[in-house]
Amino acid sequence: MTIHSLYIYDRHCTCIYYQDWHRTKPVSPVPATTIDGNASPSAFSSPRNTLSSTTGIVVAMNEGTIKLPASPQPQTTISSTGLPFDEEAKLVYGVVISLRNMIKKLSGRNEQFVNYRTSAYKLHLFETISGYKFVMLSDPKTDSLRFVLRQVYIGPFLEYVVRNPLVKMDSRERGVDNEYFRASVDRLVRGLSVFS
Amino acid sequence: MAIFGLWVINKAGGLVYQRNFADGLALLTSNEYLVLAGTLHGIHAITSRLSPMGSSSGVQVIEGESFKINIFLTVTGTKFVLLTSLSDTTAEVVLQRVYDIYADAVMKNPFHTPEMPIRSEGFDTRIGTLIGTGQT
Repeated sequence: MTIHSLYIYDRHCTCIYYQDWHRTKPVSPVPATTIDGNASPSAFSSPRNTLSSTTGIVVAMNEGTIKLPASPQPQTTISSTGLPFDEEAKLVYGVVISLRNMIKKLSGRNEQFVNYRTSAYKLHLFETISGYKFVMLSDPKTDSLRFVLRQVYIGPFLEYVVRNPLVKMDSRERGVDNEYFRASVDRLVRGLSVFS
Repeated sequence: MAIFGLWVINKAGGLVYQRNFADGLALLTSNEYLVLAGTLHGIHAITSRLSPMGSSSGVQVIEGESFKINIFLTVTGTKFVLLTSLSDTTAEVVLQRVYDIYADAVMKNPFHTPEMPIRSEGFDTRIGTLIGTGQT
């Protein structure tokens, strides 16, 4: 029983926050691009690793999980460990939206998609009225983690993102990452009984 | 516990069989079912690549608030999809039985063209006796 990762998407379909815990298959950083101006290696010298996507959104992730390449790689190289981060984030979003629409269509009511399970993991979704989507990947045997995602929303997210005057909510350039939010989410997730 | 519907999706993502049982879900047109089956086929392929923990199968169970979609993938790539209520625990067994019936009544039928829609009275009857009206 464990929790692998958390993605937060805004209503513009962009991933504004990412954090992972137990993950044997690390995300590969997005090859440096010229679009967001982060191509120079010195941009990665911040204490926290930064994943930038080709759409220009900068999403920070927890420290010490990946080593970013010292030199920019060509866009086409994809590491054998997995997809580049922005590709992965887009696939997660695409799956979530398709399933949400499918569930709505099949039910004929305004029914929400809750989770899906494969042999290796389970994906949970919580969507707010304002269009923020909280997505969590966990062990396939865990029960529904929707309440946890709701707690992330009503706790850390409201406190350190929505009420934080320094966070630009609808910015299309930066994610919502800040130290308090990250620490608070981390504490909440590590305190769960399913986290081990 | 209720079984709402059964779909058979061929290895190319085409819907070759669709049947409704218990009421509870929206009744869609056959075109809409075709689109949904194609979408499900695509999602199934993507989900196996999103695994944070090494290799993974495709999606097996998708849950909504009042029903779930159980997907059984055979080694030949045919997908059997069963729409059931959340409390249903028999889906895996039923899907396995459907596969048996499919092998007997469809694959052994010399008049059936592989990958094409299933129009077989024998298959219909046997599925009918297995699932009935979908209510248990």
